[in-house]
Amino acid sequence: MRQGSGLPSLVLMASLIGVGGLTSDIGYPMLAGVLSTVLVWAGPAQVLLFGSIAAGTSLPAVAIAVSLSSIRFLPMVVAIIPLLRGPDVGTGKLLIGAHFVAVTSWTEGRRLLPELPEAERFPFFVGFAGTVMAAASVATGAGYYLIGALPAALAAALLFTTPMFFTLSLIAGSRTAADWTALVLGFAFAPLATRLAGPDFDLLIGGLVGGTLAFAVHKLRGERHA
Amino acid sequence: MLETLEQASGGFWPYLVVILIGFLPTEIWRIAGVLAGRNLDENSQIMIWVRMVAAALVAGVVAKLLLSPSGALAVVPVWGRAGALASGVAGFWLTRRSVLGALVIGETVLIAVGLAYS
Repeated sequence: MRQGSGLPSLVLMASLIGVGGLTSDIGYPMLAGVLSTVLVWAGPAQVLLFGSIAAGTSLPAVAIAVSLSSIRFLPMVVAIIPLLRGPDVGTGKLLIGAHFVAVTSWTEGRRLLPELPEAERFPFFVGFAGTVMAAASVATGAGYYLIGALPAALAAALLFTTPMFFTLSLIAGSRTAADWTALVLGFAFAPLATRLAGPDFDLLIGGLVGGTLAFAVHKLRGERHA
Repeated sequence: MLETLEQASGGFWPYLVVILIGFLPTEIWRIAGVLAGRNLDENSQIMIWVRMVAAALVAGVVAKLLLSPSGALAVVPVWGRAGALASGVAGFWLTRRSVLGALVIGETVLIAVGLAYS
């Protein structure tokens, strides 16, 4: 995603409107959707959470899938910490700052923080990411109510936002043959895994097999960056 | 164990699910990032594998949402959902890699099919 324009935020809002619709679709209360935006603060994890509940996946398998999709936060947080650290920013504040790390806040943070004096970086990051989070919460709540109020075709479009957006962001993020393998196999294995492994662990098995084969492609081709 | 918890929690169950199944499995990695400091290579083999698995997982859930949708999206027949997704993907290149433009194209096709079928 491009940095610096309102576009990443706009697309983020569209995807969270979809998450709100998904929350309503599985019969959860509106505040559970908003809570997921505030606490989980990771679009793919939220979609995995509500999307696999919609598909009837067992909860322990959902938790593992969510966790696997969120490992990327580990290196992202490691990379942004030097920019947040300051004289009065200890581990406690860093943990708060780390909670606000998601794709949009991370790319914007890495771009904007180096230009600020050290003392202003932590408050700026939390203020900026907190504002985006507040707007995203409103979008989640709005999506929840919109789905019931809209005519059938538009309600369908609202639920379609999530698969469409995540397909596009996966495509936009794919650079190498291995990236494409992960995307295509993950997509293709899902129905196959459901048939072979049943609805409980199909997502997990499809993801692990597809991802591992993609990693094998990465090794075989000797790609440097993935 | 989860069934017992579900019954005991009553109306709070969805919030517990968000916290236990969504928040905790995600937040541990952010906490680990703070604690790990700089001793981690973003391009290590294990992190590349993790990224591949994560991409495949998200692609998998997208496929499930499209192929066996619940509720409002089920109004649109499966060829309409697949066609709208394909249009959006084609639109991504037609708009020179604009995610927002492609999203609008995919949604427009889906709404058109939805209007014809609802």
